Amino acid sequence: MTSLIGQTPDMRRRRAAETRFQWYGRGAIFASLAFLAFMLWSIISGGLGAFFTTDLMLEVDLGVQNIDPENPAAANYRAIWRDAMKEHFPEVTTRKELRALYGMLGADAEYELEAHVMADPAIAGRKVKLPFRASDEVDMLLKGNIDRASPEDGRPMTDQEIAWVDHFAAAGDIERRFAWSFFTNGDSREPELAGILAALAGSFLTMLVCFCVSFPVAILAAIYLEEFAPKNRLSDLIEVNINNLAAVPSIVFGLLGLYMFLNTFGLPRSSPLAGGLVLSLMTLPTIIIAARASLRAVPPSIREAALGLGATPVQATFHHVAPLALPGILTGTIVGMAQALGETAPLLMIGMVAFIVDVPDSILEPATALPVQIFLWADAPQRAFVEKTSAAIIVLLIFLIIMNLAAILLRRRFEKRF
Amino acid sequence: MAGTREPVIVARDVNVHYADKQALFKIALDIPEKEVTSLIGPSGCGKSTFLRCINRMNDLVDSARFEGQITIAGQNIYAPDVDVVALRREVGMVFQKPNPFPKSVYDNVAYGPKIHGLAQSKADLDGLVQWSLEKAGLWDEVRDRLNEPALGLSGGQQQRLCIARTIAVKPKVVLMDEPCSALDPVATARIEDLIDELRQNFSIVIVTHSMQQASRVSQLTAFFHLGKLVEAGRTKNIFTSPQDERTQNYITGRIG
Amino acid sequence: MIAAGTQTCASDKTDAINLADTKRNRTFETLVMVALASCSMVAILVTAGIVLSLLFEALRFFERVGIEKFLFGLKWSPQTALRADQVAAEGAFGVIPLVTGTLLISFIAMCVAVPLGLLSAVYLSEYAGKTFRDWIKPMLEILAGIPTVVYGFFAALVVAPMLRAGGEQAGLNISSESALAAGIVMGVMIIPLISSLGSDVINAVPQSLRDASLGLGATPAETIRKVILPAAAPGISGAILLGVSRAIGETMIVVMAAGLAANLTANPLEAVTTITAQIVALLTGDQEFDSAKTLSAFALGLLLFAVTLCLNVLALRIVRKYREEYD
Ligand SMILES: Nc1ncnc2c1ncn2[C@@H]1O[C@H](COP(=O)(O)OP(=O)(O)OP(=O)(O)O)[C@@H](O)[C@H]1O
Ligand SMILES: [Mg+2]
Repeated sequence: MTSLIGQTPDMRRRRAAETRFQWYGRGAIFASLAFLAFMLWSIISGGLGAFFTTDLMLEVDLGVQNIDPENPAAANYRAIWRDAMKEHFPEVTTRKELRALYGMLGADAEYELEAHVMADPAIAGRKVKLPFRASDEVDMLLKGNIDRASPEDGRPMTDQEIAWVDHFAAAGDIERRFAWSFFTNGDSREPELAGILAALAGSFLTMLVCFCVSFPVAILAAIYLEEFAPKNRLSDLIEVNINNLAAVPSIVFGLLGLYMFLNTFGLPRSSPLAGGLVLSLMTLPTIIIAARASLRAVPPSIREAALGLGATPVQATFHHVAPLALPGILTGTIVGMAQALGETAPLLMIGMVAFIVDVPDSILEPATALPVQIFLWADAPQRAFVEKTSAAIIVLLIFLIIMNLAAILLRRRFEKRF
Repeated sequence: MAGTREPVIVARDVNVHYADKQALFKIALDIPEKEVTSLIGPSGCGKSTFLRCINRMNDLVDSARFEGQITIAGQNIYAPDVDVVALRREVGMVFQKPNPFPKSVYDNVAYGPKIHGLAQSKADLDGLVQWSLEKAGLWDEVRDRLNEPALGLSGGQQQRLCIARTIAVKPKVVLMDEPCSALDPVATARIEDLIDELRQNFSIVIVTHSMQQASRVSQLTAFFHLGKLVEAGRTKNIFTSPQDERTQNYITGRIG
Repeated sequence: MIAAGTQTCASDKTDAINLADTKRNRTFETLVMVALASCSMVAILVTAGIVLSLLFEALRFFERVGIEKFLFGLKWSPQTALRADQVAAEGAFGVIPLVTGTLLISFIAMCVAVPLGLLSAVYLSEYAGKTFRDWIKPMLEILAGIPTVVYGFFAALVVAPMLRAGGEQAGLNISSESALAAGIVMGVMIIPLISSLGSDVINAVPQSLRDASLGLGATPAETIRKVILPAAAPGISGAILLGVSRAIGETMIVVMAAGLAANLTANPLEAVTTITAQIVALLTGDQEFDSAKTLSAFALGLLLFAVTLCLNVLALRIVRKYREEYD
């Protein structure tokens, strides 16, 4: 008699195959998620440091021979801090060594000092200990990103420089603080000064243009296609076009933008206007597809009710159907905008790769965007920029998470209304 | 014909096709003014189709094709110069499932008068809303919750709200497609009373599956079968002495 | 009383209705309709704009460099004059090394994305419980929501050095801009596309097929392999085509991780370059307009657009046809 509980060798083999197959599935999911976790972990662990910066405490002489208390702005602040450094390390004398010594502080040390004095003019006339931003190498060394054990000519700091840092450390003259400058500065060639403000502003302006163009056009197009379009060749063509546009590589949109917006219409190169327009063309299909789906989800009984009262089709649509579909449309829009926010390649094509220090004042001025800033920093040679890049990615991801959460919440809240 | 009032709606030679399938065959029917006419017949016989021809709701179905003539107060509603929007203002409709707008009670009733410019002032509009809700027998229940969402009302209340919404634009004719089929017996009884009252102001056409309902609320009854109008006449005649065997079978429950 | 009352006298004149003349403003409605229709035309305009701008510039390029030299040339090294008076060699514009590079990286990407994506899809739609699916699906979707510039950074700064170090251990010389690193990371990026389209396709297979197979005593795994996957094959191939199209058009990962060396090789450990990476390289930085170098970017763009368009149309058609079959 054959067993129903499957003890035959054949059954056992098949059962094993079944188990194996299930494990393949679990393995695939695990591998994908492990990759995700590894990527996020390496970016977050590598980028958190950039939110903190190192200060060196240095005693500077603000005596009257250096600063005129009546006119503190006229003082030679560069000379003051450099003298202070020299005094701190009297044994350093050669020019080459001195240059290295001055390099210990950030490139904007004199402005920092001036800011200290302006903020508290009472310190003028005395000797005071003030914090100065350390250079990116010092910062990297203290964060453990420069290996002391590696041979001297293979690392960005000499033994002597490391000894100076240790000297500061031994005196307790090293402080860590939150790097506000990362959020309040624009790009810079000096890693310790580089921040994302200009890129954030550029992204914001670009997104603004993108939203203002794509949102109305997409809604109106979706309403036409879903509510009014006759079923003919033209509607089919539009439909096919929208589906295809959604899958066209983003760089092709960049080429379109370069040729049409910059070379033909003469929009300013590198401007948020051009960037936003290009991105809006990419976002259109996403929003249209989402908007059509949510218009389709409005029950026909609502349309019938309005039309039965003698509302015109336009009234029925704009008074009743479109408002009901709005949450769904907004969800789709947020998702589309989130995609646009992370988009890089088309912006490269229209020249938003420029080196931008200042916050753009208008959508016509040269600007860059956060993902482009990431791309630029990723390519920079200094070790400190790796950290900055990761930090910029963290900021970008936080924005994306917020947007997607908003979309999810909106969807949850309005999901079952009818 | 004795005792019958003037017909407000006259349908002649009405044929309707859905794509290749014919749903109505040469329908000819008079619907009198300020009385209730009920359309009965087995499922799929074309009652809804005929009803929806009267306010041209069938225009919304792409595959539907209309032939023949329907006049309202002497005007052919399928004439080329007719504006369907104006027609639907004159011929209101109440649907099978209550379908209030997801807005407040007040906004539901006020919507029609607003788009047609029937009220000159806010006070006018308030008065019209109150009149409609009173006519629909709902005023006492909702007077304190006019600004609450209509979807919070019970099913029966929602259906009366839909009736109030329809009569707020003061149409000549009110069409009702199985208005009670989604309601319980108590709510149904209320609506039936209401229909009887509305008869004073409006001409009403109602589709129903309930023989009792037809005999209770209507003065005239038309029996449809397989897309044809088999028999029409005073309700009491139809139910007591039907001329056609199919009518006889249907009202005694042997077909349908 | 059928058709008894042919006389239709309107006794009550005050009740007369007028169906033809209405107060409503038809011009406004017409305007709205025109506005709506023109917005939907934008989709066609964009496509036309893409085709025209690519075609126009590409044709100017082909006037200078023959189309056959472009399509069949084996060497890609777009040179430009360093000084204005210099008689520069126009350079070589043979697209073959770029095509092979693109295909190599896409192939590696698909080797990662197809098995992982399909197995995930199968497990999620055939085995996983509801809670598991509700948690895992959105997590896989996260992979699709991460900007490609982030993948590019990760590929260039983490994966490539890791592969290189691993290769050294194994005695292999892996380029720091190897096709392998870019391909693997790109594959991970495409996993959610394959798995979500794959899930749709697998869910569309009628339950009756499943029941029939299980009823014959087949195990779930056998049912999946012998019944469901074959039934879903057309849809799955559509999903894969869309994935390939995505891989070919992906830009940032290759720009950051694959480099610009136009090597004609099939060795995944060497550096290759792709069509998209070259477009970026040609059009960023200082560029003189009208040079063969900048124009060639549009020719590359045209090639890219044509190929991905064909893939997309084909894939969408397959998927739609497949849906109809089972609806
Ligand atoms: N939109 C449509 N497309 C195609 N055929 C339709 C459509 N609406 C109705 N029909 C067909 O027309 C015929 C009449 O339908 P109708 O809805 O008028 O019947 P009914 O008498 O109202 O039935 P019920 O009592 O079930 O509501 C039916 O055979 C139906 O299948
Ligand atoms: Mg019906």
